[in-house]
Amino acid sequence: MTGSGKPSGGILEWLAIRNAVEKLGAQRVWSDALSWTRFTGSLALALLVLLCLTGVFMAFNYTPVPGTAYDSVDFAQFSLPFGGLIRGVHHYAWNLLLMVMGLHLARALVVAGYQPPRELTWISGLLIMLFIPVFIITGDLLPWDQKGFWSTQVRTSIMGSVPVAGDWMVRLLQGGPRTGIVALTRFYVLHLLVLPGALLLLVGLHFHFVAHRGVSEPLFSTRERRQVSLFPTMVNRWLLLLLIITVALGAVAYLWPVPLGDPADPTDSNYIPKPEWWVLFLNQLVAIFRGPLMVLGTAVIPGALAAGLMVLPFIDRGPERHPLRRKAMLTVIAAIGLVLLVLSIMGYLEHYGPPPA
Amino acid sequence: MNRQVMGNWMLVLALAVALGLVMQAPALAAAKQELVSAKVKQAPAGLDDAVWKDAKALEVPFEGKEKFAGMKAAVTVRSVYSGDNIYFLFHWKDANKSVTKGAWKYDGQQWAQQKGNEDRISLLFEIDRINNFASKGCTVTCHGAADAPKKEWKFATASAAEKGDLWHWKAARSDPYHYAEDGWLTVAGEKTGRKVDEGKGGDAKNMTDDKSKPKFMRDPAKTASAPGFLLAEEAVEITDYAVFNAGDVITYQMPKKPSGSQADIQAMSRYADGAWTLMLTRKLNTGNADDVAFNAQKKYSFAMALFDDSGDENSYDSEAMTLAFGR
Repeated sequence: MTGSGKPSGGILEWLAIRNAVEKLGAQRVWSDALSWTRFTGSLALALLVLLCLTGVFMAFNYTPVPGTAYDSVDFAQFSLPFGGLIRGVHHYAWNLLLMVMGLHLARALVVAGYQPPRELTWISGLLIMLFIPVFIITGDLLPWDQKGFWSTQVRTSIMGSVPVAGDWMVRLLQGGPRTGIVALTRFYVLHLLVLPGALLLLVGLHFHFVAHRGVSEPLFSTRERRQVSLFPTMVNRWLLLLLIITVALGAVAYLWPVPLGDPADPTDSNYIPKPEWWVLFLNQLVAIFRGPLMVLGTAVIPGALAAGLMVLPFIDRGPERHPLRRKAMLTVIAAIGLVLLVLSIMGYLEHYGPPPA
Repeated sequence: MNRQVMGNWMLVLALAVALGLVMQAPALAAAKQELVSAKVKQAPAGLDDAVWKDAKALEVPFEGKEKFAGMKAAVTVRSVYSGDNIYFLFHWKDANKSVTKGAWKYDGQQWAQQKGNEDRISLLFEIDRINNFASKGCTVTCHGAADAPKKEWKFATASAAEKGDLWHWKAARSDPYHYAEDGWLTVAGEKTGRKVDEGKGGDAKNMTDDKSKPKFMRDPAKTASAPGFLLAEEAVEITDYAVFNAGDVITYQMPKKPSGSQADIQAMSRYADGAWTLMLTRKLNTGNADDVAFNAQKKYSFAMALFDDSGDENSYDSEAMTLAFGR
């Protein structure tokens, strides 16, 4: 920088980021970090970016007031150019994100990607995964439609059943015992401000650990690994992936427009929300453990599962990563996965199957 | 292609299948009755057009109220849309064709209004969201003190921001001109929140100032365009009551030719074999502020009422339903 304040070495120098950019440009990463055989992490990031962009577009036209919130979503979806497409992409993106993150987790479990030295990569990834449902729960209420409103009632009643802190948590989240304007405002602020901020921090942490601990070596490929530049090679690959997934979800949203249900009627207690696919197993747990045992289904079992995953890197420390040589661990994981799948199928049949004769 | 690449493509396939399941979920979760308007290339030309076979029939149950309390009725509804228009086909059983609507009858000595009302069917859509209409239907448009008799209750919305679009086919007052009355609903004034759309239409009472006999008769110089009914535009003042014979009947409420936004809903009807069949046609978007503008991407809540030779409070009402558009 010269005394006159003008840049002496171009815009990067003027912005005082030349060193950082040069360092980034010199960064080399494993070529298979984003390849045909390993893409779920990059796809999850692309979906998060897409969710953020579509969310910002939707926020421009949103009013967080009961009733009016519905009208604003209705207007944005059906009266604004591409409004329906943007909401559709947002909807399908979070559904796909859950699936992709599930696959990302499953892959890491199979190839023991959580083993040292990647414990913190695993834990930060798990925290991101546990965070996404909170996004969905807060976002569900925002359109102020029947499904979102009554799903929130179910979720807050489940939350309220947690011993000691349940009622307090519900009041903190909703600003009172009822889901009204304060609740909507809090959900809105959480969904648009607090959660994205926290998620950004977690994603940053995850990448920090990925950068410093590396991605796990491939187990099945016999090809020799090579490194490529982070910028532009890897970034370009990721941008191409972002483009492909944007076009694909845009096409899905165009062909199958996402519906907007009826506006919320807080007096219509006849409305029974159907659980979405990703909470079917949790819903079934709640259905199995009733009365005083309810806390088992709502807090103990899900909490134990999450805690078990968190401590996994400290139990299965390796060095063996090949699934065929970790049969005991994979049998336990597969058994838990099977139980969750069976619970989900039971939930699906209960809520979406033919009514009992 | 090695096994790992194959495995990943299997994952992509699994994701696609899962996404497909997600897309099915909202349809499976529908709780209200849903009428799907089928998209057709050729608009229906009439009540028996083959195109109606492309539209899935919806059997809508109705609950009677007031004098029909405890009774039930049912209407089969179909809908299609083509080009700029939407079409509805209704079919319901009715033991008697009722089109009297207080018509005058001459007994050779004097004129008297006959007992008897008319058959009607009405639909209410939302122009601007009516609070809780989607879940409770027309119930939310009845306003009155809890202890007041139902007759004193007002048919209206709760606020001026809420607006309904009222389609009202009347066998004696709108059908002779082959249309359904087009009105809208807003917050109640002194009497009701019901308003008629811009333009002309409705009906005119045919009665002398002393209310003892009809004032108008069919213009003998004109051919009756709606046999059995006296249309306001074909009526002339009666100058000589001696021309009438015992048993002669003259319409009491003369339909007026609709124009403007009041003429938006065309009707075609038939009463045969103890049942009414009715087709209503309207532009998807009339461009009028007093009409619901249908967007084929969107779903609309609506409710219906059926009147069997009866007045306002004596009706059969449906629950709120959803109108969706096929693609």
